[in-house]
Amino acid sequence: MRKAEFLNTLEQSLSNISVEERNEILYDYEEHFQMGLEQGKTEEEIAASLGDPKNLAKEFTVGHALKRAETDTSTTNVLRAVFATISLGFFNVIFILGPFLALVGILTALFAAAFGITISGVAMFGGSILFPFFGWSMHLPFSIHMNPLATFFAAIGTTALGILFIIGNCYLSMYFYKATLQYIKLNLRIITGRRV
Amino acid sequence: MNIQFKKGVLELCVLAMLDRKDCYGYELVNEISKNIAISEGTIYPLLRRLKEEGYFITYLQESQEGPPRKYYRLTPLGKKTKEELLMEWFRFVKGINHILEGDEELA
Repeated sequence: MRKAEFLNTLEQSLSNISVEERNEILYDYEEHFQMGLEQGKTEEEIAASLGDPKNLAKEFTVGHALKRAETDTSTTNVLRAVFATISLGFFNVIFILGPFLALVGILTALFAAAFGITISGVAMFGGSILFPFFGWSMHLPFSIHMNPLATFFAAIGTTALGILFIIGNCYLSMYFYKATLQYIKLNLRIITGRRV
Repeated sequence: MNIQFKKGVLELCVLAMLDRKDCYGYELVNEISKNIAISEGTIYPLLRRLKEEGYFITYLQESQEGPPRKYYRLTPLGKKTKEELLMEWFRFVKGINHILEGDEELA
């Protein structure tokens, strides 16, 4: 492999990284080629001792993805970090992705339940208010016929419960998110001796 | 030797070299690859990561031949980390030696 080919491959494999950072990385390798040539080595020799540019790009990408996931904690960033780490070939996809998806599934279910409770609360609320006026056209639980006022308060209670449930889930997601990042980092550290 | 094992001690090697004097990338890579068999390219991701950790800063300096070179200089944090890693390393080597020599006192 010659210099141009090496740098091109590296540049293409670094597509996930910002232009500014990419240029800095490429500059380092260009400098390396430059000095190797001054020492009388050939481009092929230098490229060979540098190693596969695709693998090098992966190392940069993982570091970048983890850093971004730390500063901007969005789902996309965490997923990127997970996938970048997998791409290094360090973990078995099943080992990390299986539990990860299972936990995401559980969180999704909890959120769905919380929204369900909130919505039912709101519906009860609406029902208890509208019943006195539109009762003839509505099919509602017995309790509203019996005691609209009690239903009204039960509705407020249910809605509040649903909202609390949602807030609790948000906290749970945050812990899960942090734990995932920690877990990925722990793995990277154990396997590579890196301090990430 | 195991590649992961080597990567672990590379960090210490880089910090120790920079503690003696400021170096540019090629110098570091050259010195390391002379002593340890490792694919040279992997040292640059390491340098980048350590710089982000704040262990050293970089600056450009003109050279007689060719374009300016990117030099690396250790920060106080880098120096402190180097001392810690060095202690850790010596403790580790001592422990290994005890085991290899079958030192009874340790047990």
